[in-house]
Amino acid sequence: MTSSQLDKMRLELRRGVLVLAVLASLKQAHYGYSLRRQLQDKGIDIDEGTLYPLVRRLAEQGLLDSEWQQAEGRERRYYRLSEHGRELLVQLTDEWLQLNSAMGPLLDETEKLALQQSGEYK
Amino acid sequence: MELVKRYVAAVQRELPEDKRQEIGRELNANIMDQLDAFEQQQGQLSDEDIAAVLKKMGHPQAVAYQFVPPQSLVAAEDMPLLKHTLFMVTGLLFVLHVVGSSVDLMRSSNVNLIRFVLQITVGFLDTAIFTFAVIVLIFAAVNINGARISGSDAKDWQPRDLPRADLGWQHISLTDIFTDLATYIFLLIVIWHPLWVSPEQIAERSVTFTEHALQLLQWFSPVIVLAVLLSLWQLHRRIWNRNLLLNSVLVNAAFTVFLVALALSGPLLQTGPAELQSVFRALQLDRGLTYGLLITACFPAYELLRDFLRLRKLLV
Repeated sequence: MTSSQLDKMRLELRRGVLVLAVLASLKQAHYGYSLRRQLQDKGIDIDEGTLYPLVRRLAEQGLLDSEWQQAEGRERRYYRLSEHGRELLVQLTDEWLQLNSAMGPLLDETEKLALQQSGEYK
Repeated sequence: MELVKRYVAAVQRELPEDKRQEIGRELNANIMDQLDAFEQQQGQLSDEDIAAVLKKMGHPQAVAYQFVPPQSLVAAEDMPLLKHTLFMVTGLLFVLHVVGSSVDLMRSSNVNLIRFVLQITVGFLDTAIFTFAVIVLIFAAVNINGARISGSDAKDWQPRDLPRADLGWQHISLTDIFTDLATYIFLLIVIWHPLWVSPEQIAERSVTFTEHALQLLQWFSPVIVLAVLLSLWQLHRRIWNRNLLLNSVLVNAAFTVFLVALALSGPLLQTGPAELQSVFRALQLDRGLTYGLLITACFPAYELLRDFLRLRKLLV
């Protein structure tokens, strides 16, 4: 697989997961940059060009509430899960857990196969 | 911070007017937060540092498109329907232009085939380009608020209605349908031109059909009308089935027999008063038409054989 193919597939794989990660992070109020830092601290690296428009889209869909606040001498837009967003997060979390439990054994088999193949090549 | 202002303004220019202020405000706040964090790590920031941060964020146009993705004029779901509509409408326009030009040709005392072809081509292109633009704009106007034109048929289908996988020919090409329609209508106009062309105009013509040939052609008109109806039925179904094939076999058989009979039925053309002395030319034309009709009869004969074989395959 070429690196461009890998990049494309990684992007597709991450796209849906990022929504879940953002919704889960916004149980507490965050402004754009603090949300990005929080995700980075949890091991999810996301560039600004993807995160900020994503947050706006989720807010436009009614999943997030937002308000402008003055803090540290600067205005910032804080986002937080709306009631509708909270309900959706619960459903998406269930879906994610089911997928994860289904994917686990599949990926274990793939890992075993990869190990067997690398053993044969040695 | 001049660079940040320029950057935000550049992004705003690429945004729809109603979203410029809000997104610009938010983007500015996010960039300032980022620069603050960078400053805490690096110390006082130079213009080069700020430029590097902005460069990393991406081109203003790309950033604007991330916030408000550009929308295609026509939604992807409606593209197949748009293509189908364009093909159908341009096909119909072609038929109408053939009809119009044929009427003009029949009315004209001077038969000029090059002018006839040019009239069809230029007239068709002129109308087709305008119609193309209008149809695309109608689709765009419907799609602009998220509505979709296609999709209602997607629910009302049955697997049994699908054509057989091993018979690739079962799908009827729109090109074939419109070519047939144009040909049939052209024939009807040629045959029935005495209805709208005055006897004086006909008399002025150098060469016309003999009375006997014209009578044969007129007797055959119901079959041509049936062929038009068959083409419209094909347009509706778009898939060859037993009934369509059976009717196509019958119509093509009738065309083959008629064309051969017409070719062998004696003089088909007669000369006008101006050409009475050039009988030789009229005889040549008549012979040419006879051979032309015999060659033309090969086409329905081929389609007759083709559809007969297809019918047999469908019945298996």
